Amino acid sequence: MAVWPIGLYFILVVLLILGMLIGSHLLGQRHSEKATGQPYEGGILSEGSAQVRLSAKFYLVAMFFVVFDLEAVFVFAWAVAGKEVGWAGYWEILVFIGILIATLIYLWRLGALDWGSPGRPRRRV
Amino acid sequence: MILLWLIVIPLIAGVLAWFAGRWSALAARWISLIAASVDFVLGLILWSRYGSELHLAPTHGWVEQVSWIWVPQFGIRFHLALDGLSLLLLMLTFLLGIISVLASWREIQDGVGFFHLNLMWILAGIVGVFLAVDLFLFYFAWELMLVPMYFLIAVWGHENRIYAAIKFFIFTQLSGLLMLIAILSLYFIHHHLTGVYTFEYDDLLGTHLSPHTALLLMLGFFVAFAVKLPMFPFHTWLPDAHTEAPTAGSIILAGLLLKTGAYGMLRFVLPLFPDAARQFAPIAMILAVIGIIYGALLAFGQTDLKRLVAYTSVSHLGFVLLGIFAWNTWALDGALMGMIAHGISTGALFMIVGQLQERTHTREMDRLSGLWATIPRMSGAALFFAMGSMGLPGLGDFIGEFLVLLGTYEAHLIGLTIVAALGVLASTLYALRFIQRAFHGANSNQWSVQDLVPREVVALIPMIVVLIWLGVYPQPIFNTFNSTLTKLQQYTVRPVQNSQGPSIMSLLPLRGDRP
Amino acid sequence: MNVTDLFTLLPLLILGGAAIVVMIVVAIHRSHILTLTLTLIGLALAFASLWWIAPEAPRQVTSLLVIDRYAIFYTGLVIAATFAVALLCYGYFERHPGNPEELYILLLLAALGSAVLVASSHFISFFLGLEILSVSLYAMNAYIRAWSLPLEAGIKYLILAASSAAFLLFGMALVYAELGTMDFAKIRELVTASPDLNRAVLLAGTALIITGFGFKLALVPFHLWTPDIYEGAPAPVTAFVATVSKGAMFALLLRYFYWSGTHHFGAVFLVFTIIAIASMIAGNILAMLQTNVKRILAYSSIAHMGYVLVAFQAGGQLAVQAVTFYLVAYFITIIGAFGVITMISDGDRDADSIEDYRGLFWRRPALAAVFTAMLLSLAGIPVTAGFVGKFYVISAGASSAIWLLVFVLIVTSVFGLYYYLRILVALYSGLAHEEAHAASGAAMVSSSSLAPALSISGGVVLAVLTILLVWVGVYPATLLNIIHSTVGLL
Repeated sequence: MAVWPIGLYFILVVLLILGMLIGSHLLGQRHSEKATGQPYEGGILSEGSAQVRLSAKFYLVAMFFVVFDLEAVFVFAWAVAGKEVGWAGYWEILVFIGILIATLIYLWRLGALDWGSPGRPRRRV
Repeated sequence: MILLWLIVIPLIAGVLAWFAGRWSALAARWISLIAASVDFVLGLILWSRYGSELHLAPTHGWVEQVSWIWVPQFGIRFHLALDGLSLLLLMLTFLLGIISVLASWREIQDGVGFFHLNLMWILAGIVGVFLAVDLFLFYFAWELMLVPMYFLIAVWGHENRIYAAIKFFIFTQLSGLLMLIAILSLYFIHHHLTGVYTFEYDDLLGTHLSPHTALLLMLGFFVAFAVKLPMFPFHTWLPDAHTEAPTAGSIILAGLLLKTGAYGMLRFVLPLFPDAARQFAPIAMILAVIGIIYGALLAFGQTDLKRLVAYTSVSHLGFVLLGIFAWNTWALDGALMGMIAHGISTGALFMIVGQLQERTHTREMDRLSGLWATIPRMSGAALFFAMGSMGLPGLGDFIGEFLVLLGTYEAHLIGLTIVAALGVLASTLYALRFIQRAFHGANSNQWSVQDLVPREVVALIPMIVVLIWLGVYPQPIFNTFNSTLTKLQQYTVRPVQNSQGPSIMSLLPLRGDRP
Repeated sequence: MNVTDLFTLLPLLILGGAAIVVMIVVAIHRSHILTLTLTLIGLALAFASLWWIAPEAPRQVTSLLVIDRYAIFYTGLVIAATFAVALLCYGYFERHPGNPEELYILLLLAALGSAVLVASSHFISFFLGLEILSVSLYAMNAYIRAWSLPLEAGIKYLILAASSAAFLLFGMALVYAELGTMDFAKIRELVTASPDLNRAVLLAGTALIITGFGFKLALVPFHLWTPDIYEGAPAPVTAFVATVSKGAMFALLLRYFYWSGTHHFGAVFLVFTIIAIASMIAGNILAMLQTNVKRILAYSSIAHMGYVLVAFQAGGQLAVQAVTFYLVAYFITIIGAFGVITMISDGDRDADSIEDYRGLFWRRPALAAVFTAMLLSLAGIPVTAGFVGKFYVISAGASSAIWLLVFVLIVTSVFGLYYYLRILVALYSGLAHEEAHAASGAAMVSSSSLAPALSISGGVVLAVLTILLVWVGVYPATLLNIIHSTVGLL
């Protein structure tokens, strides 16, 4: 197998990028007015910082979603092959779901699923 | 079983002293004193029981043994055995053990219990070294005695103690590990040849080695013992350790730990690797003579009393090394006598220096002039042991040095003999300088301190007696050493025929008349 | 997969089950002592089940796990060490604000991961075990959220462990691409059957796998995380990272490289030689420059892993036994050393400055004596387990005549003495005549003096460990017998 077409392709890619960068540098116009550095969105001036602090709750919920959603994939995989894996597979998925439920109970008791209200005290006094 | 007790008694006494020390310092001291004395008495019993047997030179050598399986997977045995050499060194050990407890009676006021724990465990380790005839057990005891010694220096030492303690530990540990490699190589080679895994000294003797291997393995052992001895280029830990250690530590270091090096040379280096040792003998002897002169000159240049005594050890142990490698009857007898006499005279000197420091809080010679007027008894004792150290006839050191010189001359090493004899001359210089500067002259600093107290007299008198005895009638020592000497020489006789090395060893005299 | 297979997995099942039970109990009723008790019961049951399943060994359970005597021995070691760490954790976290209960769940999971590692005979189980272990460790490292150092340790460990796992995966993929199998034993068959395989890819894969091992074992040049994690993580967790995670990984290293036959490649042997030498030298020399006890132990652990590699390089039965013996001695010693650190630490900070140990012997003789024993064991001084371990490693090296490694071991271990002695010096300093001096020095250096309440559980652990240390050091025949009859069969 000849390797040179890949090399040529790679060189062409590099040349193209270089050409575009240099071309725009030479041909493009530059100006620095008062509003040049400002973010622009439909003519409305932006307000506040771009780095908004979201409540940690959002992350938590996002994490739970990812975790449980991912676990669901395994259940789907089992469902597809449910007949072939037989009773052994059935018991295995039962244990798996059981562990998921245990985790859910744990999170629920911990107050991690409560929204807004302070919920249960999460720290021992 | 009595051999086991010799080790177990100090071990237990150490622990007892530690616990007792928490309630009463005096109890800890008495426990240690009693333990050391009991061991001493046991040693005397052994000596009286086997004295005549050892004199008759039995061929098998060991008169008392303890041998148990320890780690069967490696062929390690807990094997202790006693012959004349170990018996004599054990007696020295117990005597100096008693002395060092007495010497630290007033010096050590803090952590008394722990101090005596360390002291007793060093003794146990040293006894183990002298008795072990399983190489693993030997290495075990060899390493074991370092740790309490380290604590002794690092905790109760003087100003620069931590540096000295760490230096001491690292020097001996590195050399010890080199010995471990040599032991293991010998072990595997022996297994390769015979199919038996064993660390037994008697079995490993006569293992056939190629000359190159034998030389390397011999060097592994030699370095470990040369550092302990200490031989000339490896001696730098010694002045620091001796100087910084508390009195008891100095006594044990100089009196006993250095002897373990000489003992190792006698017991292991030459019998295990006779051919290699013969090849190497010229180098070892030249280094020994350099050590004699170098130690004496440096001792002459010191102003710190402890450092002075420390450097004299380098010089004296040079004689011992010279005698060991000359390897004939006179030289070996001389080396043994040198070991014992040095142990006593140097131990006593360290004790006296320690007492001086206790009273005057200085070891600087310049600040100590004219002490004779205020402490005549102590000054007299110092003079006595200084005379011993410089080899005055009638004292033990003289016999040792004289026999070593005689043996070296007999081995047709006239050049070395002459240079070594100069070392004796140099010892006169430092010994006299020591007496003159510290004790004679005007008492310009107006010292007025207490003379020897009864406890110190009790400690010093036995040493004086023993030193005179060694000098006037050394025959019992030689008699006890007789069987071991014959045995040691038999190990090395075998390969004489095919020796191409220098001619020293091929002139092994038969057991001749006693000097 | 049948009932007997499941039965032989009993220790793993018990560990996993215990984690879930503890989690549910924590959800229902928070109680530190209850959690600890359940954890200990779980560990004890798992340990006891080892005797039950022993007659079934060796047994290949699916292609992923093999329960042989080797695996059983190391599982036992992992469980016993976890048991000790759990007890140490109790006293330590009792003094800290915040919820300590979840730590035990993580501890059980980490033990499970380690047990999977030592039993794995396949890349899949290797990776599974590794990840179960690592993920638990991320959280354990950062367990004390109120302090910044543990957080830093957790994040560092997360990033570095994840990237090393990526390297490891890539390595496995390369080996798989070349040979078409992920089973250790099959790799050996293929490698020996067709020596004309494309060695470059195979070697590249092996190199990447070595990277993964090297990271977990903290071998130079993959050691950079070690001091920070050791310093930052809470003391008992550090004990766990230093022993269980490394020990399990080393057990697997032995199994993988001996079973797959890749250890016989000249290049692989050379790489391990270089890594071992670099680890011994760098670990010991860098440790000499530290003043923080945890960092000293971190660097010394790098060196110690180098020593174990020397035995590993020797090859053969003697090597397997020497490595195992050394690891057992190392487990006892390190858990003991960190146990002392745990005991001295209080609720404000860990006792990691050398100043915290100054004169400890005169204040707490028993604790200082234990620490002394542990340090002497690390330095390989007689009467301690470390001495016999070092002796074993050197004799393994000497029997295979790998002199270069043995000499480096000896010379660097003497460097090692220096920093152990420095800690010892501190322990015993401050005798009456310098009390005043030492006190003023300590006041200047350490920000606050520690006033921990000593815990009974920790004290018991330390006493048991010290007895074990001396027992193994004075009469190693018992342990040697066990190792001969179990690990000897790898």
